[in-house]
Amino acid sequence: MTQFLDYVLGGIGSGAIIALMALALVLTWRATRVVNFAQVGQAMFTTFIALSIQTLTGSWFIALIGAIVAGAILGVIVQYLVLRPVKRMDTSGAIIATFGVLIALQAAAGMIWGGDSQAYPQPFSNTAISLFGREWPLSVYDLVVIGFAGVLVVGLTLLFTRTSLGLSMRATAFNPEVARLSGVRVGRTLTIGWALAGVVGAVAGVLVAPTSAISPNSFDILLVFAFTAAVIGGLDSLIGAVALGIGTGLILSVVSGYSDSSNAPVVALVLLALNLAIKPEGIFGHNSARSV
Amino acid sequence: MRDLMRLPGARLIQHALLAFAAWAVLMWVNGSVDELTNYYLALIAMYATAMFGMVILVGLSGQVSLGNGALMAIGGYIFALTTLNWQYIPLTSIPMNGVWAMLFAAIGGVVFGLVIGLLGARLTGPYLAGLTLGIAVGIPAIANRFPGLFGGETGLQLTVPYPDGGYPAVAEASGEQFVTELPTSQDALPSAGASAGAGDLLTSDNFPSGDASALPSVAPGDLLTADNFPSADPSAMASVAPGDLLTVDNFPSAGATPEASSLDVSVLDPSTGTGTDGVDLGFVLERWEASLAIAVACIVGFIALNLVRGRQGRVWRAVRDDPVAAAVSGISPAGSKVTAFMVSSVFASLAGAVFVQILAYVGPGAFGLGLSLSLLVGIVLGGRSSLVGAVIGAVLLVWLPEFVLGLAGDRGWDEQVTNNAPNLIYGLLVVLVVLVAPGGIVGTLQALVGRIFKRTARSG
Repeated sequence: MTQFLDYVLGGIGSGAIIALMALALVLTWRATRVVNFAQVGQAMFTTFIALSIQTLTGSWFIALIGAIVAGAILGVIVQYLVLRPVKRMDTSGAIIATFGVLIALQAAAGMIWGGDSQAYPQPFSNTAISLFGREWPLSVYDLVVIGFAGVLVVGLTLLFTRTSLGLSMRATAFNPEVARLSGVRVGRTLTIGWALAGVVGAVAGVLVAPTSAISPNSFDILLVFAFTAAVIGGLDSLIGAVALGIGTGLILSVVSGYSDSSNAPVVALVLLALNLAIKPEGIFGHNSARSV
Repeated sequence: MRDLMRLPGARLIQHALLAFAAWAVLMWVNGSVDELTNYYLALIAMYATAMFGMVILVGLSGQVSLGNGALMAIGGYIFALTTLNWQYIPLTSIPMNGVWAMLFAAIGGVVFGLVIGLLGARLTGPYLAGLTLGIAVGIPAIANRFPGLFGGETGLQLTVPYPDGGYPAVAEASGEQFVTELPTSQDALPSAGASAGAGDLLTSDNFPSGDASALPSVAPGDLLTADNFPSADPSAMASVAPGDLLTVDNFPSAGATPEASSLDVSVLDPSTGTGTDGVDLGFVLERWEASLAIAVACIVGFIALNLVRGRQGRVWRAVRDDPVAAAVSGISPAGSKVTAFMVSSVFASLAGAVFVQILAYVGPGAFGLGLSLSLLVGIVLGGRSSLVGAVIGAVLLVWLPEFVLGLAGDRGWDEQVTNNAPNLIYGLLVVLVVLVAPGGIVGTLQALVGRIFKRTARSG
């Protein structure tokens, strides 16, 4: 039983990162009804930028700030140059375009920083905490990750519920036409949504990089986990993305603990398939994934 | 003539002639170009086979799928596992060969296509893309889970061309094996072998016994292999792997330990292999690979042509453009989507079975997310809903990296830049095509031709 609890606790850190990435996917979905499959590509790119800043300045914090700024800029660029023109056309086109961006970003990162895995410096202690006479499966770094995730979630919730920007974002997500008639500058609101998603993704990238080395393709699996969490959470719901992100992290940790970590992608796939077969609109979702 | 076209089956014959003409032209090319071009030809035909399925799934049926790379892995693994583990088809006494293995791969494709189709038919847009993305990442991971059966990360080596067992496969995981050289040492030359030069293939004609009756089991001119060599003593064959060609160099000397034969060595359908009459030219592995890939691509292309231009094609398009209207007209939208999945899955499995024969290897690394993305890139660039576009896309996928490599060689680019340049170009081109010309190369050309004809019709 204690072993089981250890596995569960050990999954909170990775769950928080999956939750952040799922949150980024939900933000773009709410803004433009497009799942941004390039999100992990953007996060990977900004993490490489952070790594370069880190080696230049030696400061983890400045690198994080750099990644956040780069993430916002990259989100705006992708939305403005790619998604805004595509939006008029079919959904297939938008999905394919995001994959095009993903391929291009991965290739560009490979060109600039090389295809090999690079270690990302560990800013805090990553050894298990000893407290109350036993070792806990959590490190200081895990707590930092959880803290960042918590701050971002609270901040986004406040933004959406307490500010006029949040109000116009919710209005745009609910019905762009009506929002436009009510005086919301829809185009700008959508772009801000993508910038926010870019920021959240960038933070997730910088946080996940020290625990697993970074290479142009190393975040692919994170995309699968985050997509699983976001879809099961309902794709529309910020709370759903966070809850299911952490839940996915816990399940994967338990599965990896009792069997082998190479089972994790298959388990995520099974979870996703079950969810889509039984309840396609997700647990917290409102809109239907079915047609006809 | 016009009335003739209305006869039942006329279109079938038309398509069959088209496919046969394509096969004949490609086989002529196959026989007249060098090994490297043949290797590229094999890859192009293999990509085209898989992308015919993508055209049906993504273009006609409107379901953006990334799972076809994983379905290729399924076809490839079924091919490899059945050929490596079965000497006879279970429960029968029919000896296994490559054709049967391809058939099993296709059956596996039907089953997996049905499963994924049933899951995916109710999903739209991003949900389907995400599910198939999970499949693309998850299925190759299964190979790592069961290393005993699937060979794990390193994968399984295959002996190709499998069925006639006629060639010592120099299997390399990278697939960068263009020229396979025959050994040239002269050590093990039998004393009586004066009639054969070093490195020559031994045939029943130049075999140095001088007495043709010593080779009763072999037709004149046939290649001698370790299996049809008429020695009474199997232990003499120990220095040669079963199925290997006998050369004057590896000719067995007595006194070595025997080894059990694990490979079956029946003869492949002569239309797809170079057959036994290519002795004087020598056996060219790349030529055989290309002829196999071309044959499969033409058969698959023929089936795809019939489906796309027939009733089923109209059903797919109707469901893609307006599922409600299609349902009102008595079409089952879900059924048509599942059918599209199954068809594209069979094509992908066959392409996968060809792919592992080209690589002489099957492993998770060859079937990653990158392969699925390549297939998507190919059909988007060529033209999402056109079979011709699939062929153009396949050519682009193979040609562009070589083109960039050539450029890099001239300009002295960094290796890091050269390796990633093709993908950067693909990614940017995909975005550009979606934004500017959603029909891809074929769709844009069609629109252009249509506009010109309209203009001339109006002015004339």
